[in-house]
Amino acid sequence: MDKRRFARPLSAAVLMMALALLIAGCGGGSKQTLNVFSWTDNFDEEVLEEFEKQFDAKINYNTYSSNEELLAKLQAGDSQYDIIQPSDYMVGTMIQLGLLEKLNKANIPNAANIVPTFSAPPFDPTGEYSIVYTWGVTGIAYNKKYVTDEIDSWEDLWNPAYKGKVVLLDDSREVIGMALIKNGFSNSTQNPDELRKAVDDLKALVPNVLAFDTDNIKQKFIAEEVWIGTLWSGDAAFVQAENPDMEFVVPKEGATIWADTIAIPKGAKNKELAEKFINYLFDPEVSAKNFESIGYGNPNEKSRPYHSEEYLSNKTIFTSDEDLARTEWLVDVGDMLQEYDRYWTELTSGH
Amino acid sequence: MLKRGGILAFFPLAWMIVFFVVPTVLVVLLSFRKRGTLGEILPEYTLEHYRRLADPLYMGILLDSLIVAAAVTLLCLVLGYPLAYHISRQSRRRQRVWLFLVILPFMINFLIRSYAWVILLRAQGVVNTALMKLGLISQPLPLLYNDGAVLLGMVYGLLPFMVLPVYISLERLDRRKLEAAYDLGATPLRAFRHVTLPLTMPGVLTGATLVFVSSAGMFVVPEVMGGAQSALIGNVIQNQFLSARNWPFGSAMSVVLTLASLAMIALMYRAFRTAGGKEPI
Repeated sequence: MDKRRFARPLSAAVLMMALALLIAGCGGGSKQTLNVFSWTDNFDEEVLEEFEKQFDAKINYNTYSSNEELLAKLQAGDSQYDIIQPSDYMVGTMIQLGLLEKLNKANIPNAANIVPTFSAPPFDPTGEYSIVYTWGVTGIAYNKKYVTDEIDSWEDLWNPAYKGKVVLLDDSREVIGMALIKNGFSNSTQNPDELRKAVDDLKALVPNVLAFDTDNIKQKFIAEEVWIGTLWSGDAAFVQAENPDMEFVVPKEGATIWADTIAIPKGAKNKELAEKFINYLFDPEVSAKNFESIGYGNPNEKSRPYHSEEYLSNKTIFTSDEDLARTEWLVDVGDMLQEYDRYWTELTSGH
Repeated sequence: MLKRGGILAFFPLAWMIVFFVVPTVLVVLLSFRKRGTLGEILPEYTLEHYRRLADPLYMGILLDSLIVAAAVTLLCLVLGYPLAYHISRQSRRRQRVWLFLVILPFMINFLIRSYAWVILLRAQGVVNTALMKLGLISQPLPLLYNDGAVLLGMVYGLLPFMVLPVYISLERLDRRKLEAAYDLGATPLRAFRHVTLPLTMPGVLTGATLVFVSSAGMFVVPEVMGGAQSALIGNVIQNQFLSARNWPFGSAMSVVLTLASLAMIALMYRAFRTAGGKEPI
């Protein structure tokens, strides 16, 4: 074997490693690193920087784009993360799979600041594993330039006048859940007859639907490619800021409520620092600043005095108590998920 | 083999094992594993995922996807062959420029290029706005979110896979054989039909294989450019790994898709052989 052939790449590799160590070393020092794994744009930059200063720590912020991606990384083991932000149903799954640490609430006194509505949600009934971070409702968004009728029911999506101008979230549980609610059933039914009825109803709607979309749905509303459709309240607030003709309603039949939480994965290296971070985020002043920037609903009751009038009066971000009373969480449906998926395949493939 | 090729043969072999054999074996093994209620992969083996696939729903979608792939392959051939032919007729310098232009789109992520089509074709997009300003149409045309848009996106994305191999076989073509055909009184059309085309069939087959395989499992284009009912087998497989959390079922679907694609390619090669052609490799 010709040794020289390997000599060059080898020395290059050694050099690279030395460089990497040097760079890593510069940032390190005695500082602790907090590894955060979350959605994109889920924090205000300054809020993070302020934490780094106050606690002499370094935040390493990585992002994922779906709960399933997060789950897959955690299941692969040794994920190195200290903070994660699973959504409601995924918290339930992760608790059952033993992937979450119990939070030591003694280190998180600010956890008491959140509204009682969210202190014991059905996916974490004891509230031991997660704290609700952002929340919202899936309602109907519509452009009043084109949609002049009063919109107050899911039935309105079926109006033939909107054919080809309807958009639905690209999410089986959200869409089928919506049709279940419209028909007076639970959004997480495990009754096959109820499920079938809702899907038959959706089959009448799908020919009017332009597309199923989650990633690019805001753009479709802003560019007026669609007139009406399902949308998360946080995204609706964003769309309204860009296009003042947009309206958002929570239909009279009820709607799905959702939340992204903050939690600590099993085996986190820096659990104590992670708890300090959570406590910091729920500080009334910090949390007000954070949520003004990210534009989602803040569950922190104590931060109300620090919020701007504009933020507090935004009905899209803050669903009224009356609307909230009609909302329902999506819960895990066990093996029925495969039935939901089969119906979803029927709906999206046109078979 | 190791003796003859020595260390040189070891690397391609290791490469094949690490990047091709191991992943394929893992997918096949996964497709026989049992799924837990929470989406866990249990250490038990089962045939249930394959049984579930026999459902006409999934078979229908598979068939749709293969038909779309065949259409994409045919369109790429019809568009790609003349382009490759044109390039091969240019001077060396111009050929380099043309080839660079063919490869250029690869330097931008495919997802971003698909969104670029959205910006061009949507109701308020560049094309519709231009046509309306020119007074040619009064209402925006439905150019996007339908099966035609899916076909367009796939042909656009996969065309280079046809152009490059066809170009190479045209480049290698022994021009003296064409001259002989002309000397014997063949018309240009006849010379193309009896000399150029048969001699470049290996390139066509390689291109067709690459385009067919890539389009059969494609999920990006139907998702970004397709309508509400444009989901193909690639989207259904993607769903198993994400929302349905059924990795074994998704793996079984991938295995069946791979086998179906291989069968289609085998048929294509066979048809070519019975027509008296030479194998590409």
